[in-house]
Amino acid sequence: MGTIRVRFILVALVVSFFAVGMAAFLNYFKYKSTIGNIVKSRVLVVGRGIENSVQASLQLGMQFSELSQLPQLMQREKGTDRLVRGIDVFDYSGQVIYSTDRARVGQKVPATWTQAAERSKTTEWTADESDEFVAGISVKNAFDLTVGFLALRYGRDEVERAAATAGREILLAALASFLGIAIVAPLALIVVIRRFERDLRSLEAAASHLEDRQQAPPSSGSAFDSAIGHLRASLRDANTSLDELRAKLDAAG
Amino acid sequence: MSILRILAVVACAAWLLIAESDAGAQAARRYRIYAITFRGMTDVERGFKEYFEARRIPVDITWRDMNRDPAKMAGFIDEIRATRPDLVYTWGTSVTLGVVGTYDAYDPARNITDIPVVFTLVAAPVLAKIVPDLKSSRRNVTGVFHVAPTEAQIRAMASYRPFKSIGILYTPTEQNSVVVVDEVREVSKRMGFTVIAKPLKLDAAKRVTAEGAPEMVRELKEQKVDWLYLPPDSYLGTQTKGVIIPAAMEQRLPTFASTEQLMETGALTGLVSRYHSIGQFTAYKAEQILVHKVPPARIPVETLTRFSLQVRMDVAEALKLPPPLPMFNYAELITPGKPTAPQ
Amino acid sequence: MTAVTGMLEKNYLWRIYWRLAGVIMVCVVIALAVVSYFSHRVFDRELVPETEQKAATVAASVRALILKATGYGVAFNELYGVEQTFGEVFEENPEFAYAAVTDLDGKVLFARGKEADQAREYFRRDTVRAVGLDPTATWIAAHVNGQYFISMPIASDKPLGILHIGIDGKFVDNVLLEVMLDVLVVLVVSLFFTLELLNFMAGARLASGLGEFGQQVDRMRSGDFTATARIRANDEIGRLLRRIDAAIDHLNVRYEFLVGELDDKLRAATGPRREQLRPAVQALESIRARFRFGSASKDSETDEMNLNRIRAPLFAFILAEEMTRSYLPTYVNQLLVPIPGLSPQVVIGLPIMLFMLIVALGQPYLGSWSERVGRRRAMLIGASIATVGFAATSLAINLYDLLLWRSLCALGYAMVFVAAQGYVLDRTGHDNRAQGFALFIGAIMVATVCGPSIGGILADNIGFRASFGVSAVMALTSLLAIARLPTLEVRTLTSQRPSRGPRMREVVALLLNKRFMTLTGLAAIPAKVILTGVCFYLVPLYIVSIGNTSAMAGRMLMVYAVMMVLIVPLSASLSDASMRRDRYVSVGLIISGLSGMLLLVSDSFLVLFGVVFLLGLGQALSIAAQSALVAEHCQEEIRIYGSDAVYGVYRLLERLGNAMGPLIASILVIFWGYQGAFIAISGMVLVCGIAFTIATRGMDWTPAPATS
Repeated sequence: MGTIRVRFILVALVVSFFAVGMAAFLNYFKYKSTIGNIVKSRVLVVGRGIENSVQASLQLGMQFSELSQLPQLMQREKGTDRLVRGIDVFDYSGQVIYSTDRARVGQKVPATWTQAAERSKTTEWTADESDEFVAGISVKNAFDLTVGFLALRYGRDEVERAAATAGREILLAALASFLGIAIVAPLALIVVIRRFERDLRSLEAAASHLEDRQQAPPSSGSAFDSAIGHLRASLRDANTSLDELRAKLDAAG
Repeated sequence: MSILRILAVVACAAWLLIAESDAGAQAARRYRIYAITFRGMTDVERGFKEYFEARRIPVDITWRDMNRDPAKMAGFIDEIRATRPDLVYTWGTSVTLGVVGTYDAYDPARNITDIPVVFTLVAAPVLAKIVPDLKSSRRNVTGVFHVAPTEAQIRAMASYRPFKSIGILYTPTEQNSVVVVDEVREVSKRMGFTVIAKPLKLDAAKRVTAEGAPEMVRELKEQKVDWLYLPPDSYLGTQTKGVIIPAAMEQRLPTFASTEQLMETGALTGLVSRYHSIGQFTAYKAEQILVHKVPPARIPVETLTRFSLQVRMDVAEALKLPPPLPMFNYAELITPGKPTAPQ
Repeated sequence: MTAVTGMLEKNYLWRIYWRLAGVIMVCVVIALAVVSYFSHRVFDRELVPETEQKAATVAASVRALILKATGYGVAFNELYGVEQTFGEVFEENPEFAYAAVTDLDGKVLFARGKEADQAREYFRRDTVRAVGLDPTATWIAAHVNGQYFISMPIASDKPLGILHIGIDGKFVDNVLLEVMLDVLVVLVVSLFFTLELLNFMAGARLASGLGEFGQQVDRMRSGDFTATARIRANDEIGRLLRRIDAAIDHLNVRYEFLVGELDDKLRAATGPRREQLRPAVQALESIRARFRFGSASKDSETDEMNLNRIRAPLFAFILAEEMTRSYLPTYVNQLLVPIPGLSPQVVIGLPIMLFMLIVALGQPYLGSWSERVGRRRAMLIGASIATVGFAATSLAINLYDLLLWRSLCALGYAMVFVAAQGYVLDRTGHDNRAQGFALFIGAIMVATVCGPSIGGILADNIGFRASFGVSAVMALTSLLAIARLPTLEVRTLTSQRPSRGPRMREVVALLLNKRFMTLTGLAAIPAKVILTGVCFYLVPLYIVSIGNTSAMAGRMLMVYAVMMVLIVPLSASLSDASMRRDRYVSVGLIISGLSGMLLLVSDSFLVLFGVVFLLGLGQALSIAAQSALVAEHCQEEIRIYGSDAVYGVYRLLERLGNAMGPLIASILVIFWGYQGAFIAISGMVLVCGIAFTIATRGMDWTPAPATS
């Protein structure tokens, strides 16, 4: 009977591992995405300020490639939030026209950026690089044609550090609860299993007395009583009939 | 019909549906555009040219200027017939009508019917009978109009200051104006405000005059209008700077301009199309025709989706009506003396 | 009567499982509460400073705007429309509850939002006012009566005032509320996982042992003392069964001996001896009439033990596919490639349609195929193909190869499904076939409860591709479980006849048959159309289109599945008892038809919960009665074409309805948008339901013999 116990306890452990694990996983991911969103919207506030200015210039008739005041503005805005690592402005072909980082001007942005911008249903989009996040705004002109894009690069460390701290704590809480279950659940289960085992034991005990012709052993209140009773009755019935036959045979000599 | 066969059929069908996109291959040849302007180069033409430069589309534009002289049209038409450009560009209602005529009465001898024509800066293409419907001209014509839809203007006015009633002065003999006043009335029914429209007086020869205009403005103020709306009206445009605006300022009545010229006369605010953007949009339509080979009849006549909200800060200060704070983000704030520099 | 005790013993085991599951669930709930508590603490500690930082950035941009306005000459206390700007701030940042601008004395000039009780006093505090006067101050944060405030000075060349932004103190609670819903889903899924795992881990032997025990009792009660030559396991039940076997053997030996003795005596006896033996002979006759001895005949043999083994692998495999339901259309949308001539809406539905089509067309032929190669091998092949399909789907480049990989999944699914069905058929006789199928259907239904919700949660958190990877792992797991099935193929007498697919002329003949088509065309097909159209196409796409998550779509599909799990057994027994199955089908169809109409009542997406609730209710009511109705309604046709052919065509058409669902739904979306599509598709089903009711009203119903 030991194996049944072990198996059921194993089930309890597996299921609680799944449930606690999923709950911890959900909390962690929710935290990570919330932090990610907060940081991203912070960065986008800076971005929108720049986009406003670009729009104003475009409205006045300036060409997208001639916004001479833009680099200064970008440097100023970058300074307002230490999180922002760099700001790029690039055209629809992916080529960087202005940037807070001189070296990047003239280079092409990764294709994932332009793809993300195209796929987005609004003017805001995001992309992931290996060591930083990118929050972007598409700049549309007066007849809704996209003339260019603004991309703000910001470090992953803030989000990841925060997520790691939270993750550690959540993991600890999860482990603690799991250990708690590992101790409590088997004890609770054993109470139920014992009843089950008791039923089976009484079954086995009754089975050894199946063919007893004497009075039945007292019913143990298990769920199998009626079944055992039927069994004994049927056997007794058959045996009685055979006894009669025996008697008649004997009587016949 | 085994499973494998079904799968094979499905797979073949799927692959056969793969369309070949040929968006990449553009011809390297240069497109020839014949452009007729009315009064020389404006910002519209600048925007038109710069669009092609920014998109790196190779065009050769032949510029011809009417210099306000309609007699030059015939010579231009002949030149078009002789040189057969890929596209003709026309500036303004009169030039456009000269080149293509009205949709119901054009003359193939005097008008161009076989070369695509793109018009720009036409205030009301349907009213001018250039096209029967904005959705399609049903011929070789398409273009861009520059007056913001009346409802957009009313909403812009409301976003500056909400109002219950507006007043309009207009020239009763100008078809344009009458139509706009009707449109405003229609919007007023939907949006729930009142319109008090006063036609300018006509003199004995049935010609419009600005006589009594300041009194009309005063009456409007007494009738408790919240705004004075200036419709796109040629005669009114000539009188605004000298007569209407001073009267409105005296009555402390805010004014809303429906076109850029009216804005320049000193109205408080207006919803205008930047000529540069109009030029770019016209070039966009030209690109559809030249590069993507879309016939003009399939290109709708449109205007910008976003207009410039202009605000004169000195008028705002004089009237003690500062623009609402959100407007400082997107409106074009004009301060006299200071050129509007980007922030 | 015969199967009663057997059932009781089966239920006994399930009662044990439920009790165990209850205990486990209580422990899990406590553990989850602990985890949630600690999460709340972490969120509070970390999120609040971050949100304050964001508020500071937003405040800085509002301040810049104010300074721009004052730069143009507008006096600070004559600013107009500041509340409008605040409104825009609230829209973009729903966790901000209040914003205000005060002058240097702390008097509020402009404000908007929910004002905290002591806000005004806070503004007038000296420390706060000092911020306004200090040119070097950046910003300060404070907690005031349920709101977190950040305050920032507004100064051009001289100090002007102070800007405050109030963050709703409960926003952490709101963030965690969303997690709570998902955790609840995890709880429900855990419950079902527990039951399945208990069943799996306890071993088939226990269940089948108890089942056999019950059967033995019943057999012996009816006088059957034939000996079964079975090998018994060495556990409690096995030992019990062996003792019963021993008792039976003893009886048999006695009987044989007595019979032998009587025979001898009869042969040796003559004349009056014969007369003396007569009572004995009569006694023997009466014994023979009441009891049976000897060896059990083979055809009463059923493979109970191995029958139970199919549940775990089937559950795992179906789960893999069901997990994709809540996010597959959105994934397709991402990989969309415009196909000329077809609207994008229709293209999104193509993978689902193709899947259903392959399953529909494949089923008739895969049945005989799996018979030939063996059920276990067929399932192994199917699960392998599906695993490859899922893995490749996760790596799909665009729509075209996605179609190919989903076809593989469909093929694998059809193979496993049909082979599993055959497995159950092989190992059940007439009397326990219904139970066998209850086990089969039960595993599938539990998978439909757990799958979409977990899939949606995974998709939101680890992305679509990784979620398909999880499905592949799940399919692989089922592969391992299938490998544990017995390799020996079994055939019971009743499943000896080879199954074949319906022939074309039978299909055509039945299509033209009015009675058959009343049932199939007005009831079965519309039911499937609304099922796949709503659950597989409209719900996932609509939910995501209004900006909500795949997890929410998963929750809705879970509601549907839960309704099915709860109501189908109930309606099955009710409709069997009442014998008016057509009424159940009618009522079910009409309720399904009313489900989408709820969207006329309200615009909120929460009404979709009501839609899937009603849909589940309607489907559950009609589905159990529908297939039994075929036998009742089309007796003439069954006589002519045979029950195989009629059922074959019925199922084929039903599954074609599965394929048509997304197509019809997508076309309706093109014309009327998502909400209109819900209403229209329900309207169509409502019309069919009413038509069915009218068509079957007053028809003569003769109860047909119960078939599977």
